[in-house]
Amino acid sequence: MSAARRKSAGGTRRVAKSRATKGRVTKTRAVKKSAAVKTEESSRQAMRRTIRGGRSYFFDDPAIDKVLNMVVVLGSEVWTLRERLAAMEAIQIKRRQLKSGEIDQFEFSAEDEARLASERKEFIDSLFRILQEQVAESRRA
Amino acid sequence: MLELKHELKLNKKRDEKARMNFVSGLRAHVLNDMAAGMRDIYSADVEPEFRRRNRRAPKNGPEVHKAIKTNEYFKFYSSLRVTAQDMVWQSVFPPLERSRPALKQTAARLAGKKPRGTLSLQKNFEVPRYVSAIDVHLMAGNYDGEYETDDLAAGSLYDNGLAVFSFGLMGQNLDDIGQSIAGFIKRKFSDLRPKKILDLGCTIGHNTGSWKDTYPEAEVHGIDVAAPCLRYAHARAQAQNREVHFHQMNAESLDFPDNSFDVVFSSMFLHEVPKKGIEKIMKEAHRVLKPGGLMLHMELPPNDQLSPYDAFYLDWDSAYNNEPFYKPFRDLNPQEVCKKAGFSTKKYVQFVIPSVGWYGADVRDAAADQQQSVDNDKTGRLTDGVLWYCFGAFK
Repeated sequence: MSAARRKSAGGTRRVAKSRATKGRVTKTRAVKKSAAVKTEESSRQAMRRTIRGGRSYFFDDPAIDKVLNMVVVLGSEVWTLRERLAAMEAIQIKRRQLKSGEIDQFEFSAEDEARLASERKEFIDSLFRILQEQVAESRRA
Repeated sequence: MLELKHELKLNKKRDEKARMNFVSGLRAHVLNDMAAGMRDIYSADVEPEFRRRNRRAPKNGPEVHKAIKTNEYFKFYSSLRVTAQDMVWQSVFPPLERSRPALKQTAARLAGKKPRGTLSLQKNFEVPRYVSAIDVHLMAGNYDGEYETDDLAAGSLYDNGLAVFSFGLMGQNLDDIGQSIAGFIKRKFSDLRPKKILDLGCTIGHNTGSWKDTYPEAEVHGIDVAAPCLRYAHARAQAQNREVHFHQMNAESLDFPDNSFDVVFSSMFLHEVPKKGIEKIMKEAHRVLKPGGLMLHMELPPNDQLSPYDAFYLDWDSAYNNEPFYKPFRDLNPQEVCKKAGFSTKKYVQFVIPSVGWYGADVRDAAADQQQSVDNDKTGRLTDGVLWYCFGAFK
């Protein structure tokens, strides 16, 4: 397939298709609600979080769309951590345990710096391990 | 991310707020910055290439779409936009799921508060398939999904999701459309003093309440097919001290008598309905309107009044955002649609109304005194400086 309009290869929750191609709408198959209304309060069901009809993919290989989605979700979690750190910093400043700008001026001790350098290298090695595996295989051959 | 200001707003944890902030920021980036980038790439690369091959410019939106869809920037724009759209709803589910019991209690308490609006639901109501069978704009569960008795979670999903989705462009109370349009109409037609106003396909009543604010003496009604949204709408209006009457009805077949309303309004509604449904809705609007009454639909602007690129840009949703009726609606001629329902062509109206939240009341009111062109890349598009499009007719 050249460009867009590639639908999910089919998750188990995918129960309906809705398509609009070239401005013409194809019929949408009726679907039972995945969670029926129950009369008992105790029968409250979790809300369905998957999209009926799947989603569109745009790259020639839909794996690229999926990886892009993962990167964005990861970006969201990185941002969430930053906001949380900012909250912690603000709380500490409010409690006078930290001065404004103190973290920006902070210098690690030589010992801490060395430990962090070693941990940083481990982190980077682990991030790119998949590439090194390929190198190791070539070397073995 | 916009914080809702009423009592039904979800209690969110720090990390949940941060995720919502991220999604709002991502959407603003895609819909402002990347959209501007895509337009430039189209002008610099895609359109010249089309001209070289065809010895003419693209004639319409589908031709632009065909030409641009192999472009890498379009693919990133689209893939990120789908991801952001999905993340809007996903960011709401965790706090909502946790808050469902409390939400029901708050709604029950608000129902007894004065002023008392009303809620009328129907037993065994048949929800049309164009609502019951799809998850419109990738919203899992759609407007009508119910997961327990007297459920209003779908309404909360929509309200809190819109707060993330709109990145502030739909107003602090998500009622910028209602506030902009009702205020514009009051200014432009000072003789129109409506006693009864009807909002069709009102969902959570976020724009219905604006009519009550603008015309406090009027009796204001909102109808929709989705019970969980109506329950939520009732509680939301009560929380905001707005006396509004919500009913579960299909706009294709209203339970109101002939000649009973002075204004029949809808917003962002018709493009979610198939053509046959739109025809019936228009006829019903004509039937329930009093002679001299105004029918007005806030909508996406029609394709025949936009440039091929802007037509393509708005139709993106139809192809990729689970909006199968969006393009067919935008391909209609609004004046023809009104005429077919029995409205005189001479009494047709259409307006391009500056967002009151973005431009302020003075600019909106100044616009009421002049006619504006629809062909503008801000008309009907959720972007900085949005202009709302609406059309309709007097009976």
